Amino acid sequence: MTETLTGAQILCRTLLEAGVDVIFGYPGGAIMPFYHALGDHARLRHILVRHEQAAAHAADGYARASGRVGVCVATSGPGATNLVTGLATAHMDSSPVVAITGQVPRAMIGRDAFQETDIVGITLPITKRNYLVQDVAELAGVVREALAVAQEGRPGPVLIDVPKDVQNQKTAYTPGPMAGGSLRAKKTQSLREPPVTGPGVTPSLEDGVREAARLIAAAERPLLMVGHGVIIGNAYTEVRALAEKTGIPVITTLLGISAFPDGHPLFLGMPGMHGEVRVNRAIQHADLIVGIGLRFDDRVTGNTAGFAPRARIVHIDLDRAEIGKNVPVAVGIVGDARDVTRRLAAQVQPRTCERWLDEIREFTRPRAVAFRGDLAPETILASLYQATEGRCTIVTDVGQHQMWVAKLYPYREPNSHITSGGLGTMGFAVPAAMGVHLARPAETVWAISGDGGFQMNMAEIATMVQERLPVKMAIFNNGYLGMVRQWQQFFHSKRYSCTPIWSPDYVKLAEAYGIPGWRVKEAAELADVLAQANDHAGPALVELVIEQEANVYPMIPPGGSLSEPIETAPAAAGD
Amino acid sequence: MPASHTVAVLLDDALLTLNRAVGVLRRRNVPIECLALKPSGTAGVSELTFVLKADAATAGRVVQQIHKIIGVRDVVLVATEDSTTEVQP
Repeated sequence: MTETLTGAQILCRTLLEAGVDVIFGYPGGAIMPFYHALGDHARLRHILVRHEQAAAHAADGYARASGRVGVCVATSGPGATNLVTGLATAHMDSSPVVAITGQVPRAMIGRDAFQETDIVGITLPITKRNYLVQDVAELAGVVREALAVAQEGRPGPVLIDVPKDVQNQKTAYTPGPMAGGSLRAKKTQSLREPPVTGPGVTPSLEDGVREAARLIAAAERPLLMVGHGVIIGNAYTEVRALAEKTGIPVITTLLGISAFPDGHPLFLGMPGMHGEVRVNRAIQHADLIVGIGLRFDDRVTGNTAGFAPRARIVHIDLDRAEIGKNVPVAVGIVGDARDVTRRLAAQVQPRTCERWLDEIREFTRPRAVAFRGDLAPETILASLYQATEGRCTIVTDVGQHQMWVAKLYPYREPNSHITSGGLGTMGFAVPAAMGVHLARPAETVWAISGDGGFQMNMAEIATMVQERLPVKMAIFNNGYLGMVRQWQQFFHSKRYSCTPIWSPDYVKLAEAYGIPGWRVKEAAELADVLAQANDHAGPALVELVIEQEANVYPMIPPGGSLSEPIETAPAAAGD
Repeated sequence: MPASHTVAVLLDDALLTLNRAVGVLRRRNVPIECLALKPSGTAGVSELTFVLKADAATAGRVVQQIHKIIGVRDVVLVATEDSTTEVQP
C-alpha cells in the first residue's frame, strides 16, 4: 500500500519494518523533523542519552549483545562528531551499528552553516559505508540498504546523513523488503576471470578445509585460536566440536572470550600482551595454529617477527583482507566461522593431544602475588561470580581492570563478555552496558570500569535513572590511570606524569542520582555488597578501593616477543 | 623491494565510493605514480586505474582493502613494473 510520507516518517517506518525497537539518541536542530515524527511511533523506544558518544556505544552494546543492528541518532555538527568515537569503536570490533544524523538543509551544505559539518567525510574511514541522502525518494532504499550492509558479511557501522529539508520532503512510500544479497551480487562484474584471491587464500573452500584437516592430523603441537568471529558467527558448538574431536587446546582472544567455556579441560586462556605465560609459551612452541575469526592484531602477536616461530598458520576469516594481513599463513580460508568450522570438524580425523597438553601444563607458573592488601582483583571477581552465579553479562572498559576481568572472571555463557577491544575506548563500559540491558532485559548486566574510564561517561547514570535501565556499575578505583601508570613505571622511569586522577565521592554521587552506592575497602565486605547491588531492582554502583600501584602481570612489552614476559616490577632506581 | 604496480578497479560511479578507494591509499600513505578515472563502458560503473610504488605485500594488501569496499565491483593487480605480462593471481 502506497502512502505519502515525509522523510522523517520514512526513517521511523523503515526502522520499525526492519525490526528495530530501540534507538539511542539526542535531539537537536537539524534532526527535529525526525524527533517530531517519532512521537507517532511509540513502538520505536527512544533512549535519551547525556552525550552522543554514549548513544553510539549503547547502540554498539545493543548490537553485540543481540546480534542485531543497534541504531543511534544525533543532530548535525557537534551531535554528529560526538558519535565518531563510538563509530570507530564499532568499526574496529565489527559491530553492526547504524547512525542517523541530521544535516543542515541541502541549500546550506558547503556554506559553513550553523552546526554544519561534513560528517560523511569525517566518518569515511570508520564506517563500512555512509550516505548523504540528497533526495527523499532514495531515503527508504538507503535505510534498508544501510541496515543490511551493517549486518551482512563482516558487520560494521554505517552512517546515514539526512538534511533537514529532506526529512521534511514528502514522497510516495511503499513498505518494501530489506536489501541484502543484492550488494554481494554487484561484485560479480569482473574485469576478467578468475577473480582475485588474497595472499595465502586457498582458492576453494573444499581444498582449504582438506588441507587444514591434513595439517591438523600431522601436527604434534596444535592450537585453536578463537576470536570475535566465533561469537559474531555463533560458531560455539562447532568450535567446541572441533576441539573435542581433536583434543586441541583452545585460546580465546580478548574479544573471543566466552566463545569457549572457561573451565573446559581444553581451555587455556587469553594470549598476547597480558596473556598468561603458559598461553603465550604454548603459542611459541606450537607447530600449528588454527585461527578462527580473529585478526592476529598486535596485542595478540607482539612482534610478529617473533610470533609462533615454529607454527604454520591456518587462518579462517570472513574478511579475505584479513588473511595474510598481519601474519603469513599456510592455509587461508575465507568463509563464515560456523560453516567452515563445521566442515573442518567433519573432515578431521579424531585424535588427542595428550603429550602436548602435558607439555603445556609444564608451562604453567604460579601467578606472582601482585597485590598488597586483601582487595585483590582475584578476590573481587571470584566474589562477583558468586554474587551473579555466573549468570550475567559483563561489560568492561579499557585498562587494568579490563585485563583482570578478562583473565580472572570465569565466563561460562557464550557472548557474556563485552569490551572495546580494537579501539580500546575508555568510557565504553557504562553506556554500552545500557545497550546490553535493552538487548537482554531479563539478564543482569555489570559495567566494570576503572576510575578514569568511569569518569568519562558517568553522566549516563542519569540516562539509566530516567530510562529505568538497571545496570550495575563497579569501579576499580586505584587513584591512577592505572595502565598508563604501569607503563610509566616500566618504561618511563616511574615518572607518573599526569596519571594520578582524583575522583568524586562515588557513594555521594550515587546518592545524588538517587541510586544505591557502596564503597568497599575490605574483602570481608565484598560478598554482601555485591549481592545487594546485584539483586537491587534498579541501577546500582559499587566502588572498589584497590591498591594504588597494582600491576597487570604478566606483560609483554610493546613491540616485544611473546617469549619475553615481564612478571615483576622493575627495580626502583637506586635499589 | 618497491616496484611499480598497476591496479585497475571497477567501481560504482559515485564520488563517495571513489573517495573510499583513494582513502585506502591515503591512509596507508602509499606513493602513487599516476591515477586515472574513466567510464567503464557500463552505465553507472567507472574504471579507476592507478600505479603505486610499493613492495608486493603492500600492493596485495591495497588490492584486498579496496576489494572489500561496498560499491567496488572488482580489483585487479594488472601488472608489475614495466612488464607487459599480467601477474597471475
